[in-house]
Amino acid sequence: MIPLHRRFDYLPWNDRPRIRWPQNARVAFWVVPNVEYYEYLPPAGGGPQQRGHDNPDFPAPNIPVFVRRDYGNRVGFWRMAKVLDKYRIRCTVNINLALLDHFPEERDAMVERGWDFCCHGMYNTRAAPKGMTPEQQRSFVRNCIALFKRATGKQLKGFNVLSRATEELPDILAEEGIVYHADYLHDDQPTPINVTRGKLVSIPYGGETNDSVMTSRNRPWELDTLFDMVRDAFDRLYAEGADNGTVLCLALHPWCSGYPYRIRDLERILDYVMSHDGVWQATADEIAEHYIAHHYDEAVAKIAQLKSAREQRSARRNS
Amino acid sequence: MPSQFKYGMDQDYWDWSPIVSRPVLHWPGGARLAVCFLVDLGHYEWAPPPGAFDPPTHVPPHSLNPYPDYVTVTFREYGHRIGIFRMMEVLDQHGVKATVPMDAHTAEHYPELVDACIERDWELIGHGVTQRQAITSLMSEEEERIYIGTSIDALRRAAGKAPVGWLGPEHSQSARTPSILAEFGIRYCCDFPNDEQPYRIKTPTGELYALPCMIEIGDTIGHYNRKLPLPRWVQMVKETFDVMVDDAAQTGLLLAFRLHPWCTGQPCRIKSLEEIVAHMAQRPGAWLATGSEIIDWYRRQPHARGAACEDAGSN
Repeated sequence: MIPLHRRFDYLPWNDRPRIRWPQNARVAFWVVPNVEYYEYLPPAGGGPQQRGHDNPDFPAPNIPVFVRRDYGNRVGFWRMAKVLDKYRIRCTVNINLALLDHFPEERDAMVERGWDFCCHGMYNTRAAPKGMTPEQQRSFVRNCIALFKRATGKQLKGFNVLSRATEELPDILAEEGIVYHADYLHDDQPTPINVTRGKLVSIPYGGETNDSVMTSRNRPWELDTLFDMVRDAFDRLYAEGADNGTVLCLALHPWCSGYPYRIRDLERILDYVMSHDGVWQATADEIAEHYIAHHYDEAVAKIAQLKSAREQRSARRNS
Repeated sequence: MPSQFKYGMDQDYWDWSPIVSRPVLHWPGGARLAVCFLVDLGHYEWAPPPGAFDPPTHVPPHSLNPYPDYVTVTFREYGHRIGIFRMMEVLDQHGVKATVPMDAHTAEHYPELVDACIERDWELIGHGVTQRQAITSLMSEEEERIYIGTSIDALRRAAGKAPVGWLGPEHSQSARTPSILAEFGIRYCCDFPNDEQPYRIKTPTGELYALPCMIEIGDTIGHYNRKLPLPRWVQMVKETFDVMVDDAAQTGLLLAFRLHPWCTGQPCRIKSLEEIVAHMAQRPGAWLATGSEIIDWYRRQPHARGAACEDAGSN
């Protein structure tokens, strides 16, 4: 196993190879609706995140939390999909895989739109793969891949489980054929993730440009503030992207942005970004595949060069 | 119960000194307000070693996520990889030389960052070993000496020069810290956010001054942790600056402003820093200086010497 502190190498922004996106775009823009299933009676041990953000200590059934998530699937998702369609957004859905079986109408709506999917665990109310042995994690990952294939006919390419990620997970993902891992907030570009076998890349997830981070957990913000943040982030990444292609992630939740009073702000956000030339609106699958095909090797070579310079310098200092 | 409590402080490191009773402080060139940008480069590790004091603000439920906390660790790493370079660009544009609290892990493992700071003539100051290993009274004196020595030594080896300033992780100290810092050649310490002027810290071991920072308006405390909208934070910082420049018509004041590249260096926030720095740079009366420039000046003023004389007489 690669230890955590060697999962990724240092690659400073002022000295890294140039990324070029298709059609010379400046920013790769991926939009990630988190389509989630919160169980009525989740098993014990999910951890505070999994028990729900707002009232972590409500004994199950945690109606105030979970029923709002349910609203997201019954109503919010459909309102959001209309807006996403208006801008022809090809989403990367952070999917709780069990939902594909629970709610086939919602699954079909996503599949018909040609959206891609990233595994977001089975249920949002479960801690897995955290707390599992490496063997259990491997069979969990295999189950995810198989379940996804059965439900959609497609190959699963990515994982985003954030606080549920384990030390071993990246190695297991790469060994099981997963291409990208979106649990890192450390960069504005894809980066190699060190694994025991194969290749794995990080696609930067939206830790801040995220509707639930803005509005849940009793934060005093609304989506008009998210609009300002996305606009400022986009402007900066767009300017920098002229020299070196950047990534902007917009993370969404139907139980958050699907409310009537928020949907217009979501529309403003999409309108702002999509009104620019030089935006590659892509799925994480596409970004990862482009990066691996054109930039992965260059990044690995640059990292090796920097590492060896650091080692020489440290040797000189100690001699 | 004593019939009367003792005048002044309940410790000997610094004197009770209401700002209105001090001699007038002059900054160089007739400046009113000394402004110091403290740009933290602290490393947030996956797991501190056993026995380390991980500040309570870094462990669940504050960090929210149980080990391994991919979200928090990688979010902090962002500052070292990307955020700092954005901040350098903004500060360079206005000729601001920052003062950088840099911990031992950063100095050892990110030599590119050391170079980038040195190229700009920025000042590196001690910042502990890592941000998840803080100083605490639970340490023995020997452990604390090793800790502080390790932090200072890492900077000396990485930058070729020993630091003269210090900011502990999360401002952490034991009751011994100021004396140990002075013994290790530290001349100023930013841990005490209790004043708007530098002041003398009395230790038996060396000449030490406080460079108090205006902690309330820093990016994490003023905006991120309190969840204030960015425009409100920018307004707060500008207003602090404006009020202090006005107030400093009477006597020189100090504004030491703390920023974190993982926070302010985010693409959604960098514009706010541009606004703040442009605001400060356009108003005459501000002296944008590094910590040691400020302290070197301060220690030569009658103000500092006067305070030292009063020290001697007040006991």
